[in-house]
Amino acid sequence: MGLNAMVSEVEVFQIVAMFIKILVVVMVCMTVPPLMVWVERRAPALIQRRKGPNRVGVFQFRIWGLMQAIADAVKLIFKEEIVPAVANRRFFHIAPMIGVIPALLTASAIPFGPDIELFGYVVPLTVINVDAGFLFILAISSLGVYGITLAGWASNNKYSLLGSLRSSAQMVSYEIPLGLSLIPLVMIFSTFKLNDIVVSQNNILGWGVFLAPISFFLFAISMFAETNRAPFDLAEADSELVAGFHTEFGSTKFALFFFAEYINMFVLSCLCATLFFGGWQIPFVSHDTVVGILQNITEDYASLLAALVGMLTLIVKAAFFMWFFVWVRWTLPRFRYDQLMGLGWKFLLPLGLFNIAFTALIIAWRTF
Amino acid sequence: MGATLLFGIFAFLIVACSLMVVLAKDSVVSAVFLVADLFVMACIYALLGADFVAAIQVLVYAGAILILFLFVIMLLNLDIVAARTNAGPLEIGMFIVVLIGFGILVVNLLLGERIELLPPGDSGLSITGKGNSYDLGLVLFSKYLWPFEMASVLILLAMVAGVLIAKRGKKKQP
Amino acid sequence: MVPFNYIIVLSAFMFFCGVFGVLFRRNIIAILMSVELMLNSVNLLFIGASKVVGNLDGQIMVFFIITVAACEAAVGLAMVIAIFRKFGSIDTDKLRVLRG
Repeated sequence: MGLNAMVSEVEVFQIVAMFIKILVVVMVCMTVPPLMVWVERRAPALIQRRKGPNRVGVFQFRIWGLMQAIADAVKLIFKEEIVPAVANRRFFHIAPMIGVIPALLTASAIPFGPDIELFGYVVPLTVINVDAGFLFILAISSLGVYGITLAGWASNNKYSLLGSLRSSAQMVSYEIPLGLSLIPLVMIFSTFKLNDIVVSQNNILGWGVFLAPISFFLFAISMFAETNRAPFDLAEADSELVAGFHTEFGSTKFALFFFAEYINMFVLSCLCATLFFGGWQIPFVSHDTVVGILQNITEDYASLLAALVGMLTLIVKAAFFMWFFVWVRWTLPRFRYDQLMGLGWKFLLPLGLFNIAFTALIIAWRTF
Repeated sequence: MGATLLFGIFAFLIVACSLMVVLAKDSVVSAVFLVADLFVMACIYALLGADFVAAIQVLVYAGAILILFLFVIMLLNLDIVAARTNAGPLEIGMFIVVLIGFGILVVNLLLGERIELLPPGDSGLSITGKGNSYDLGLVLFSKYLWPFEMASVLILLAMVAGVLIAKRGKKKQP
Repeated sequence: MVPFNYIIVLSAFMFFCGVFGVLFRRNIIAILMSVELMLNSVNLLFIGASKVVGNLDGQIMVFFIITVAACEAAVGLAMVIAIFRKFGSIDTDKLRVLRG
């Protein structure tokens, strides 16, 4: 057959494996926003000492309010799509897509688990396994700003435009401390590839957060600003500027923006866990120990099960950071816009530069 | 074979996007097509073995500079300006010269001698085995250290100049 | 992969579009964007040349071209803002203070 001449067996296997990985990543990313909707309503209830929505149920199964999230999703889908008459049609339809695509692309670059051995081939558990690992993530997430900018412009609405410009300026400004905080990590771990960084963090004292604490501090703050989450959510908060750049966007388009925001949060949480908290590794247990334990149970699929365990660990760590996002949102008041920009440019940027110099000095001192 | 197909797709996209950049009437449409153009260029750079530069192109060029363009267009709320209809002999002359140059290059493509690219993973393009970023860092900070420092001074100058030029003048005291 | 000649022609086409944009558009921002297009065409040529010669010099050159393009775009856009404030328009036909 002609196909055999073009692609070899290895490539067919890798292509099929890639499709399966893409499917897994997309499914995980698509279940995060509905779960987060539920968390966003029950967590503030917990923090504010009340009960959140817990009435919606199907056949008396209320599942602590998860049905509310499903009801919200169904409502969003069935709402009427309204396009304002004076809006710029082309960009109005495209903007949400431009918001979601970078979010999903960045999600595909995160290592969800260790390399697995299937049928004799080594399959890395990342869809995109480039040499310039998290540089790719930074680059693609900087394209996500276009969704917001074009959304505000397409709405042809003063408040939308102002909100979107403020949002984009904020996101672009906080990309700098984000990038600067990751440079000392590159210096310490000597690689851009995320999987190698995870593998280097074998014991708990080798975790990124202990090797580069200022980096973690900078990254944690920039994480909030990059996703337009409180306390940096002036541009899209409910009590300011109506709803910022997504005022005019109805049902499915709003759902897409919503998804983009939560997937961004999820990706940054996973990135934080990967870079600073050991990624898919369980704290005091090395990967080989896990494989050893699992080999006692089943011979063939030990590495596969170990990968599943790794995935679960990463998801638990990312879940902790998602909870952190929600916790901070419902605890801290929001920044005024000029305070926000002043913080980014006048405090975090010099701190990031100082951090790089400091880390370089320590590395030089330890080497010589 | 796959690489050639990919290059063909990217080349077609670049041709389409470049034409749309210069032919679109609305500046925002131009800017968005330029972003698409830069993104496809980054894909071609990655295909040609320059992953770090590709990432930097998206991060800096498509992700910051063009957002600056979009900001200026949106903040100034610019009207659509029609294309030039009063092109003088100077413009037409320059255009014909560039057209002739392009024609010469096309003829060279069709009839001239082929210059082959190095196959991927060649030893010249990867000095150590540790990836493009590592090698670029080695070369940048040894052979090109002076231009690197000058570039940082240049960026500082541009920042100061940008702020000064765009600042509103002081309001005169009554 | 394709021979370098194809990359030369692609880069020349982008340059050609950029020149067309600079010569035949009146909108200053469109002219600036066409200049960026020209700079990018040269970038492509450098990366391709780097792959032909087997050096990393081409990629370093692109690095610096991107830097210079960023600076020039920033200053150019600041000037556009100042021009808009003074003249109220960005149509180059209306910006005829220097006669001749």
